[in-house]
Amino acid sequence: MGPNISALEKEIGTDRFPPNERYFGLVNFGNTCYSNSVLQALYFCKPFRDRVLEYKAKNKKNKETLLSCLADLFHNIATHKKKVGSIAPKKFITRLRKEKDEFDNYMQQDAHEFLNFLINHINEVILSERPQANNRAKLTSDAGGGDNHSSSGGFEEPTWVHEIFQGILTSETKCLNCETVSSKDEDFFDLQVDIKQNTSITQCLRGFSSTETLCSDNKFKCDNCASYQEAQKCMKVKKLPMILALHLKRFKYMDKINRHVKVSHRVVFPLELRLFHLSDDAVNPDRMYNLVAVVIHCGSGPNRGHYISIVKSHDFWLLFDDDVVDKIDQSTIEDFFGLTSDHQKSSETGYILFYQSRDSSDPKVNSNDCRQNGK
Amino acid sequence: MSFPIPFAVISASSDTTVKVWNAHKSYCMSTLRTHKDYVRALAYAKDKELVASAGLDKSIFLWDVNTLTALTANNNTVTTTSLPGSKNSIYSLAMNPAGTVVVSGSTEKVLRVWDPRTCTKTCKLLGHTDNVKALVLNRDGTRCLSGSSDGTIKLWHLGEQQCIHTIHVHKEGVWALLANEAFTHVISGGRDRSIYMTEMRQSKNFALVCEEQASILKMVPETDFTGIWVATANSTLNYWKLPKKEDLPVSSLGADHLVPYSETPLKTIKGGAAIRKQHVLNDKRHIVTQDSDMNVCVYDVLKACKVEDVGKVNFDEEVKKRSKIVYVPNWFSVDLKTGMLTINLGQDEIDCFSAWVSSKEAGLPSPDNVDSKINYGSLILKALLEHWIAASQIQDDGEDEGSAASQANQTPEYFKIPGHTPLIISEVVGRGLYRLLVRDAGGDTEHHCLRDNLPPWVLDIIVEKNMPKFTKIPFYINPHKSSNMKVSKTDRLVANDFLQIHKVAEHVLEKILGADTTGINTGLGSSPNEEQDNLPAEDKIELVCNGQVLDPQMDLRTVRHFIWKQATDLNLEFKTNSKRT
Repeated sequence: MGPNISALEKEIGTDRFPPNERYFGLVNFGNTCYSNSVLQALYFCKPFRDRVLEYKAKNKKNKETLLSCLADLFHNIATHKKKVGSIAPKKFITRLRKEKDEFDNYMQQDAHEFLNFLINHINEVILSERPQANNRAKLTSDAGGGDNHSSSGGFEEPTWVHEIFQGILTSETKCLNCETVSSKDEDFFDLQVDIKQNTSITQCLRGFSSTETLCSDNKFKCDNCASYQEAQKCMKVKKLPMILALHLKRFKYMDKINRHVKVSHRVVFPLELRLFHLSDDAVNPDRMYNLVAVVIHCGSGPNRGHYISIVKSHDFWLLFDDDVVDKIDQSTIEDFFGLTSDHQKSSETGYILFYQSRDSSDPKVNSNDCRQNGK
Repeated sequence: MSFPIPFAVISASSDTTVKVWNAHKSYCMSTLRTHKDYVRALAYAKDKELVASAGLDKSIFLWDVNTLTALTANNNTVTTTSLPGSKNSIYSLAMNPAGTVVVSGSTEKVLRVWDPRTCTKTCKLLGHTDNVKALVLNRDGTRCLSGSSDGTIKLWHLGEQQCIHTIHVHKEGVWALLANEAFTHVISGGRDRSIYMTEMRQSKNFALVCEEQASILKMVPETDFTGIWVATANSTLNYWKLPKKEDLPVSSLGADHLVPYSETPLKTIKGGAAIRKQHVLNDKRHIVTQDSDMNVCVYDVLKACKVEDVGKVNFDEEVKKRSKIVYVPNWFSVDLKTGMLTINLGQDEIDCFSAWVSSKEAGLPSPDNVDSKINYGSLILKALLEHWIAASQIQDDGEDEGSAASQANQTPEYFKIPGHTPLIISEVVGRGLYRLLVRDAGGDTEHHCLRDNLPPWVLDIIVEKNMPKFTKIPFYINPHKSSNMKVSKTDRLVANDFLQIHKVAEHVLEKILGADTTGINTGLGSSPNEEQDNLPAEDKIELVCNGQVLDPQMDLRTVRHFIWKQATDLNLEFKTNSKRT
């Protein structure tokens, strides 16, 4: 290491610096902070990092994909000879710009859209690299089936991306005439949360499962009644994921000015979270979560401003602002809850929250999870 | 949802109307269209001849029975008063015989109480945790019973504005209630198909009266309270014997092992089977149905009647067996809400006039043996309004005797529809405007009502006698690669969607090949003799789409739907027929 110990190392204390841990900032290639902030948050979602590094170890000679670029980047950080510093995710950004036109420019992007794209995309990469998936694709095309070979097919063996991020939502609809309840399940990689001023995440999630009445011109077509009837509909979580990503809907479309405006409402997010109002047949209703990372939006709108992230590593918190890494006090997290006044538009607010379930560090539960996924 | 009064019956419907009927002569005296959504509940104050109606539009209206029974089809204006203040859809209603108290139950989960004499709110009663679906008041309007989707029955003291007893006998929602005149015993039914009789103040004392085949919707007692008529979600009505109140409890076993007081009903009025499943076949004319007795039938939409009883067979297999490779555009939608087939025209953005079919295919004789095209939508409109059109012609040009005679000579251009077929004209959202039987459309009153209510797109076809527009399909024709022919450029062609492939073959022969000089005739034989010239075009030219040789009788839309299967413009290839050389 030599004598030039960085300020960060000094602050943490060389003797207290976690062994085998690296804290590297990511260089900005012109408005790529949306990517940098999400990558840092994902790097510190331990189950995700472990699986990406495992992928790197197993797949040495694969052709370049966005996943292989991500694996190289994580590997470079994890095996760096220095403990702190900065790294340029050049290969990853180049590949990203090739993969999706929307990202092929120097404009600010929405961090949530990027996260959504990244998770879905690497899931597809994993599926396409499966030998049996290729066989199956061939079989269906041989049989002349016009069906799209979709990656989200229910019968597919789940990937590790599913195991980490995928939860199940169920929407229950009760016809008010015959009182038959019909339910429909759908998978999710993150939950979109509507926010209100001076609330907490727990309160906002309650709104998520509140009941909506389908009535007047919007009646429900009940199969049992063979007619349109009033109905009550609500969304409930049926299976909680290992890592729960919550997307706070902070960008609201305003018809009048024809663009999105930032909603800086103060929404408290706790360090520990438990979800209520799950469906009656929920798989794992008692899951407890710890906050592990937050992507923060600074500024006044979706296409302007800056993204940074804060992450928890071992027992302290770090702030990643592109290539700069700082240790922060846990109490400063409050600064990112939002503003109590609605007049100010510009703010530094939590935008995507990553909660990791407490049981996910226990390998037994992990394998359990796989089995539940697989059925 | 009927309610008996001396000479008439009043009914409320999901078609948003309240109707007054003459029960003896069985006709509808008048229709009240004041509600804006489904009407779910009626209540009747016998001593005051007052009726209240309520529904999903959150409103309660009060009607004077003597005014209602004096209404006629032409004189049908009536004033009403309303009870304001409800916040949610109303599912239940009760009024005492003196007409001094009205109670309503709604998805708000509270009971609202009014004084209908002053139309003022009395109070609001909280306690249920779900929709309130059944209500009963005692004679003087001091006590109220409520049945809720939360599975409980509550007894309320209206003066003290509180619940004085909660009865838990049902496993699921309570949908129907009755009380004896002394208001000591309640009979209840609901989603769990069971009917219980319970002593209101001592709910330990109860009996399972009977178990029905389907959820209980409504109960009507015999005047001496020895039996009840029960209506369920099935179409059959049953009459059950009631236990004597002194005999309660009939059984002392726990609720799970209760033996019903009677196993079978004393009387039964059998209802018809309801159609529960339907599948419109590819010809967009025949519908395969399955009813609640599992019988499978086939209906012909154009004839508006059943054409075949298939019996108790597998529905899906029957559908598969009868599906043909033919594509006809959608021109109607179907619903089964009445338990019968209802064909909707001009709804859900489906163009009623999109289906053109050759009269030969439709099985109609065509004039002069020319294979003319008919439009299913205009065909059925003419059939439905046959009597109305005839009456209009007599009214419009009564002196012109020639027209009637010429019409008699014409071949029928549609199928006859049974006279008892109901014709309903409704708003797009489903509110009924006018309903009549097809055979009555020529009557004086009906004639005027129809003229006022028929939508412009119907009048345009029936009165103005305009022809519906043809549906066009754009496509390209190229020589097949095996033919080694070169055509300078391919034009984008447009034709009617029902154009058959042999017509396309004629076009190829005349316009694409024939337009060129004789030198190109190579493929057709260099010296065409007369015999070969007389051959139809489809024998000389073969058309191919997606590598498949096309049947000359197939039409363009079927080719596009079953063979081309793409959103882009249809692409056809032609080659000269090798077998014929």
